Amino acid sequence: MKKSYYLFNPGRISRRDNSLKFTPVDDLGAEGAPRYIPVESVDNLYTFGSLDANSALYNFLGKEQISVHFFDHYEHYTGSFMPKDFLLSGKVIIAQTEHYSNSSKRLSIASKFIEGAAFNILKNLRYYNNRDKDTSVQIDTISQMTPQISSARSIEELMGVEGKIRLTYYQTFDLIINDFEMGPRTKQPPSNEVNALISFLNMMCYTLCLDMIHHTQLNPTISFLHQPGYRRYSLALDLSEIFKPILVDRLIFSLLNKRQIQTQDFDHQLNSCLLKENGRKKVVKAWDDKLNETIKHRSLGRNVTYKHLIKLECYKLVKHILNIEEYKPFKAWW
Amino acid sequence: MYIILVYDIDQKRVGKMLKLCRRYLNWIQNSVFEGELTEVKLKELLLKAKEIIDPSYDSIIIFSSRQEKWLDKQVVGLEKNNLENMF
Repeated sequence: MKKSYYLFNPGRISRRDNSLKFTPVDDLGAEGAPRYIPVESVDNLYTFGSLDANSALYNFLGKEQISVHFFDHYEHYTGSFMPKDFLLSGKVIIAQTEHYSNSSKRLSIASKFIEGAAFNILKNLRYYNNRDKDTSVQIDTISQMTPQISSARSIEELMGVEGKIRLTYYQTFDLIINDFEMGPRTKQPPSNEVNALISFLNMMCYTLCLDMIHHTQLNPTISFLHQPGYRRYSLALDLSEIFKPILVDRLIFSLLNKRQIQTQDFDHQLNSCLLKENGRKKVVKAWDDKLNETIKHRSLGRNVTYKHLIKLECYKLVKHILNIEEYKPFKAWW
Repeated sequence: MYIILVYDIDQKRVGKMLKLCRRYLNWIQNSVFEGELTEVKLKELLLKAKEIIDPSYDSIIIFSSRQEKWLDKQVVGLEKNNLENMF
């Protein structure tokens, strides 16, 4: 019910009458007409432009359980302001750590993530195979690789399989997307339009997963598939593997093939390609709409949004590590 | 549910009402607000509103529909506030 708000315009956000007030500022520093944001309807804030705020505001946001995500000029995720952890459970953290340090338990969860990801990737390919895009070669290659997931003996081996699957998968992008050429996957910086979209939306997906993890008792730094490093919420990376094919890739295909995003929405500088302000707004709008789309959940028997689906995935993970119910990755059935 | 709230409140108290409504709903016109609220949040809002108003003089009217899509909205003339979540 609560909405995410996306702030592109530079400006000042402040606490006003126990609610939020956003005052946009233009290039010359002149203030525009203020907008009031009903605080009770805010889920979180995404800030792409430069934002002025004081600690009183953050105290207030913390109290209202609103997190703020920040992105830099190059659309990289730079960090979040998160309210104080309110769902604390020592039991879950201990169980989560235990599942991480026991290599067989860790491997079983990690392989579930890849299994889910591979399944959803194949779903995408089959969908386009039925629509005059011949992806049968890649479908075969990936299908042949899937048994290797469950037989993998170590995390490294598993990551290897995952890498090969993704590589094969990315080959099909040029087949599926009509007017654009993707070529090899490049990051930091992305070299062309398709790569730029992948980078941008992957990051949005990662941020979303992090936010959803925050609404559960799980600890976002202890991951199973990715190596839990420093300064990273690697559990969000694990979780986003499953949802990237469903949310990110499908959105990219439809944005480009329906010509909602075109060449003029990108900014080509030196060797990189980034979304322009306007293009970014369009992509974020589409992303937001996508997250609020609902599907009929099979076991719950009611409609849930894609966003909620990620939270449900976290709950399943909690159940698994507490040995209540075995974790099954989300698999798209349509 | 999706709500349209209108009020007619004595000048002495109207400022308080405006501030309260801003926390829950989007302002669209003088004394008119709209937005998505859960039933519990609406109860909360009304409870707080009742503390502000004088029931023998003021009134609040709420139109609600199950979802925004069941609501046709037409704006004639100037749209004073659009309800985008991107700005």
